[in-house]
Amino acid sequence: MSQSFLSVEGFKKTFGDVVAVDNVSLSLSKGEFLTFLGPSGSGKSTTLYAIAGFDIPTEGDIRIEGKSILSIPSHKRNIGMVFQRYTLFPHLTISENIAFPLRVRRRSAAEISARVKEMIALVRLEGFEHRMPSQLSGGQQQRVALARALAYDPPVLLMDEPLSALDKKLRDDLQIEIRRIHQQTGVTILYVTHDQEEALRLSDRIAVFNHGRIEQIGSGTELYRSPKTRFVAGFVGDSNFLRVEQVSAVGRDEAIITMPDGTLFDKIPLQHSLFGATQTCEIMIRPQSIRLAKDDEIGLEVVVLDVTFLGESVSLYLATKWGETLIMRIPERSMIGSLAQKHIRIAWERNESHLFFS
Amino acid sequence: MTTTAYKNSAPFFGTRGLGMALPSLFLLVLFFVVPVIALLLRSVTEPEFGLQNYRELFLTSTYSRVLYNTFLVAGLVTSISLFLGYPVAWLLSVLPPRKSMVIFAIILLSMWTNLLARTYAWMVLLQRTGVINKFLLGYGFISEPLPLVNNLIGVCIGMVYIMLPFIILPMHATLRTIDPAILQAAALCGAGRWQAFRRVLLPLSASGALSGSLMVFVMSLGYFVTPALLGGANNMMLAGMISQLIQSLLNWGLGGAAAFILLSVTLALFAIQMRYFGGSLMGAR
Amino acid sequence: MLLSYDRMGSLKVFLWAITLLICLFLIVPILFIGALSFGSSPWLIFPPPSWTIKWYQQFFSEPRWINAATTSFQIAVVVMVSSVLLGLSASFSIVRGTFPGKFLLRTLFMTPMILPVVVFSVAIYMLFLRIGLGGTFIGFVIAHTILAFPFAFISITNSLERFDKSIEDAAILCGASPIQAVIKITLPSIRLGILSAALFSFLISWDEVVVAIFMASPTLQTLPVVIWGALRQELTPTIAAASSLLVLLTLALIVFAGVFRKSLTR
Repeated sequence: MSQSFLSVEGFKKTFGDVVAVDNVSLSLSKGEFLTFLGPSGSGKSTTLYAIAGFDIPTEGDIRIEGKSILSIPSHKRNIGMVFQRYTLFPHLTISENIAFPLRVRRRSAAEISARVKEMIALVRLEGFEHRMPSQLSGGQQQRVALARALAYDPPVLLMDEPLSALDKKLRDDLQIEIRRIHQQTGVTILYVTHDQEEALRLSDRIAVFNHGRIEQIGSGTELYRSPKTRFVAGFVGDSNFLRVEQVSAVGRDEAIITMPDGTLFDKIPLQHSLFGATQTCEIMIRPQSIRLAKDDEIGLEVVVLDVTFLGESVSLYLATKWGETLIMRIPERSMIGSLAQKHIRIAWERNESHLFFS
Repeated sequence: MTTTAYKNSAPFFGTRGLGMALPSLFLLVLFFVVPVIALLLRSVTEPEFGLQNYRELFLTSTYSRVLYNTFLVAGLVTSISLFLGYPVAWLLSVLPPRKSMVIFAIILLSMWTNLLARTYAWMVLLQRTGVINKFLLGYGFISEPLPLVNNLIGVCIGMVYIMLPFIILPMHATLRTIDPAILQAAALCGAGRWQAFRRVLLPLSASGALSGSLMVFVMSLGYFVTPALLGGANNMMLAGMISQLIQSLLNWGLGGAAAFILLSVTLALFAIQMRYFGGSLMGAR
Repeated sequence: MLLSYDRMGSLKVFLWAITLLICLFLIVPILFIGALSFGSSPWLIFPPPSWTIKWYQQFFSEPRWINAATTSFQIAVVVMVSSVLLGLSASFSIVRGTFPGKFLLRTLFMTPMILPVVVFSVAIYMLFLRIGLGGTFIGFVIAHTILAFPFAFISITNSLERFDKSIEDAAILCGASPIQAVIKITLPSIRLGILSAALFSFLISWDEVVVAIFMASPTLQTLPVVIWGALRQELTPTIAAASSLLVLLTLALIVFAGVFRKSLTR
């Protein structure tokens, strides 16, 4: 606990009967970039706002450097925040906007103007000092918001879906900017988004939220390669889910599965103990893991419903004998003739697939 | 582990924000609600407890004539304003902004110009030796000056003058929301212009027209200045009667009763407007 | 076709005709008064035999006119300030507050606008007679503030509701205390609403007739009261001069507010 820079312990928030966040705990180290990833309503923004001080936890604690911040009012928490809606002060110029937190802290005029210059250079908006927010584009406004949040050197920077109001190209550019600024300043960042690509690009670690709980925290690679729950598997990266009829454990971490059409596959990795497993079992296979089965290996018989050319890859839309569909993706250059409406047999990298029980 | 957490973005001055509204609340209750209720109470307690004031108002011909006259004038003014104002609102709703700006400016200017100044203008224009009579006499339309003021005609002209902006603006707002494509669709379906108007445009704009009319009617009922200046002894309206009963005759009982009648009709009509039209609010002056 | 300007055909002519007539109808009387105020005939004969400014001279020299104008102005200024202050506090309470009965309170705040002024005038006249505030400056201010308050409240509430509270939250996170954030960030952001509220309140008090008639005493009269009295007695052209000045003042204020607003939203 004492090593973590920012920690949330047992945070719970209810609004009347609705439980928005249920028992969320996490800890960040100094300088880390952690993203809250999840669909809307999953509790990620609620948690963020509690850290900012705009909501009081129903239960739980939030600490920075070991000390609880719950009794400190928002304006004394010294936390920086960038919102989704740019929230620049409309009646002040860009420089005045950035200077505002420093003015409030009664810094000297010389210090203020030096720092403002530094921040404007950091977000690369030289020349815009005397413009008004309404004269700037969305992307530029967000950069000013960032500069303003960092002006007073906060220990923690919170960002609530700051890029979702921007178009794709701008979002990509700003993601690079944010990453650069993170590396340059070393500030600890807590980022909220529902875009898994964005999360993967920016973060050191990702906390996946679902229905008010964290399903898994880990690096992007960990979440992609070893998803712990079905939700995480489906949310991070592309995935296919197929029903499994029967599962028999072989040893502690392997199983033999039987698909609904009778095909048997062995050497399937097994994460959880089968004891107490309830009714349904699904296998998750990434589209990129699927390939054509060689003649001498076991394969699943499927029909090719549609083939889509995507530039550097080709996407095949397949249907199993029992009617479930899945997507297979292969690099364009390995495309063999025309496969539409053909019956093929597929196989996949066994150790890249995962079993989930519910 | 939970220490007392601080809620910082709550409105200040306590009790979940109610505190800030208290000064205004006190002012309104003390100097608005209480006096009005007191006045109404006087209507049933003076000279003695009972409804005799109301009986007197409704049954004595002098007073009941005033009531009748008030509703008559309000009705006339509302209908005339509606008919004159509808075409203007219609044109305004189809004109591009640059052309409509001037018309709007004229309407708004007339609305914000001092009421007395505007009524005074009509007093002068309509008098026997005034411009209008001189014009009509001079060109031989009439042989004797027309009595245009100190009678029903003067009051109606003056009130329509005041009320026109108040009916044009809401009607215009409603007409603006109608998609022109609907009328084009009607034409494609084969409707002639009159039919399209009667069956499509009129029903769609009815709510704005009715809402505006209701507002103008309510305002006309309670109007004081213009009827007093432009009307004669025979067309006194409710507001003038209330004023006379109280200021000149010091008859608080009757005055209070008349005020209550005016008040309740106003509230009832306003309630109808809120219920059916989600009415916008404009003042009665 | 009925709502498409270019395809209306002869209907357009009809609509334009009526509109132009109505516009003339609306504007001519005002211009007429202006012209009359420069005419030399004391019986308001139009066209006047000659032009003069003596009515304006009379207005500015006669004590009853000048005193009334000054009184009106003083009352209007005080009403403007108190109405805006009350409107601000009430607005914050309604927009940000979380207490029950907000809708009722909001309706109550709007009622002076809905009810006929004559009823209010009589009622408050009765109250002031009892407590001795009839014909006093304070009495006028209270009565006019009640009339102006709903307009100020609506104007400010509109601005405040449209204001994005996250901006205020951002200011708090930047280190400003909640009150500092309101003063430095929120109020400047809604200054258009505050300006409108001030303008409305001033004009409503300045032009107010009915309450003034009941409230006035021989020593305390507002300009509309003097005009009203003069109108019932004789229609001298000085009234025309006074009226024209009133119109000009209103016009000037509205133009000024418009220019001011333009400069604020640069």
